[in-house]
Amino acid sequence: MKRTRLPVGILFLLPSLMGFCLFYIWPFCISLGYAFVDKPTGGSFVGLRNFIELFRNQSYLRGLFNTVQFIAISVPLNMGLSLGVAMLIHKMEKHRELYSLVFLVPLVIPSGSMVSFWRSLFAYDGALNGLLHLIGIGKIKWLDSNLALLVMVLIFIWKNLGYNMVLYLAGLSNIPREYYEAAWVDGAKPRQVLAHVTLPNLASTSVLVLIMSIINSFKVFKEIYLITGSYPHESIYTLQHFMNNMFASLNYPKLTTATIILVVIVALFTQVMLRLERKASE
Amino acid sequence: MRGKRGKFIAPVLIFAGVLFLLPLIVTFINSFMTEAEIALNYTSKLNVFDLMDGIAENFMRIRLIPQRVSADQYKEVLVDQPSFLILLMNSLKIALPVTFGSLLVSLSAAYGFTVWNWKHKEAVFTVYVVVMLMPLQAVLVPNYIIADLLQIKDSYLAIILPGIFSPFGVFLLRQSMKALPPAYFEAARMDGASDFAVFRHIVVPQMKSSIAALWMLNFIEYWNLVEQAVIFIDDYAKEPLSVYLSRLAEGRMGLVFAASCVYMFLPLWFLTLGQRDLEKGIELSGVK
Repeated sequence: MKRTRLPVGILFLLPSLMGFCLFYIWPFCISLGYAFVDKPTGGSFVGLRNFIELFRNQSYLRGLFNTVQFIAISVPLNMGLSLGVAMLIHKMEKHRELYSLVFLVPLVIPSGSMVSFWRSLFAYDGALNGLLHLIGIGKIKWLDSNLALLVMVLIFIWKNLGYNMVLYLAGLSNIPREYYEAAWVDGAKPRQVLAHVTLPNLASTSVLVLIMSIINSFKVFKEIYLITGSYPHESIYTLQHFMNNMFASLNYPKLTTATIILVVIVALFTQVMLRLERKASE
Repeated sequence: MRGKRGKFIAPVLIFAGVLFLLPLIVTFINSFMTEAEIALNYTSKLNVFDLMDGIAENFMRIRLIPQRVSADQYKEVLVDQPSFLILLMNSLKIALPVTFGSLLVSLSAAYGFTVWNWKHKEAVFTVYVVVMLMPLQAVLVPNYIIADLLQIKDSYLAIILPGIFSPFGVFLLRQSMKALPPAYFEAARMDGASDFAVFRHIVVPQMKSSIAALWMLNFIEYWNLVEQAVIFIDDYAKEPLSVYLSRLAEGRMGLVFAASCVYMFLPLWFLTLGQRDLEKGIELSGVK
């Protein structure tokens, strides 16, 4: 029985596997060569010099640091907030669908549609500073100081809270009611119920939320790029800005070197995640 | 105890919801203002009246009530300026092939991953996940290399083909397929149904929500194309809308809001049509 099934499985997988290899894996392997030469065309072999230089490159280090910092701040914050909203909606008896629609809307709005709004809100002479002016607070450089990071986190949460919320809503409704009833009967306080019933049962949902949040955290680049261009304030100069600019200046060796380091980091991270997921679902 | 706290839930949610919708509400209302009013609101330059009033500092104003309701912006964008509609078509020309192509390829691959008992299958799947987690910039050089080799650098195919074979769809659909009871496949096969028949008549109908969700998520993604457009497209006439809109904001601010509304209409409409499917599809991607 199994013997006849084996090749058919391959057949179904084949189109994807071929395209995936052709458009991602194979060209990636070709691009590896760039990491060890000094010029994209006719360059000579330089060993590991590109890697050493990259770790001395101020803008690369800045981008890497900012990306890690952004993920470290925004992802947990978004997870917490989306869980909060999901728990509130879960408690509602009516209009649940309407509420979740509201929080899902930002997810589908194209970044380009919101650029003017964000710009006129956060500009130095923008509406937010205008409001603050009314209550006697001086102008704040929202996009041109370290506060830009805050703006970026805000936009990220606005856009991505809905996705996580849907996952958490599903996770919440999968927790059997009896668990809660047992906890109430035992006289557990709300905080204890959260810590001992709700959160442990959401562990495997949270791993997926984490994976999706990280994918989506890279996508906030679209908004930031459209709002502030290729060279924003240094607090929001991310790895993607660096890689984009390397591509624009045709510096493939540096870009490929940066990509390889990123692949290693992401591959390690994925291993950890998959292990976590297995543990969480046990 | 619970009842008392319950009273605050609706107001908190409504407040948060209004905050979330505010950018949309502003954009929508502002799209019905005249170009002149927009020009006046979205500048911090002092005008004669400000000077007479002794105002020394001015800010952009986000107004929620138009002085005069007008559809001029829409007329300008949709009727008088053919370039906008051309760019709208460009966005469709990229989004539609990617969404449908990716659906076919991913659905088939997800089924392949489900029924194929190969011991290294999980390792292959991990490679898909690693690539899925990469930011777009990381696949730029590979994309560029292959586009150069296939000589499609200057065509939308350079964006469409990698999109069709993007690993995200395979991940999403495979996760959801895990939710189908294995007995389903087995029973049908016992009855002598071929693998393709099981796929076509049992798996696909059961996966409707996930299929709709993947289609929508991909549509959102490629309708909202930014990075690849910046890299691959040099010709202004071939740009998708996202890049054009951010440029329009610097030129004719007075048209931006109507253009933005037209741009977001399709994904919003799809969301209202398919909210349930989208939610169910996202949920199922989390099922073990």
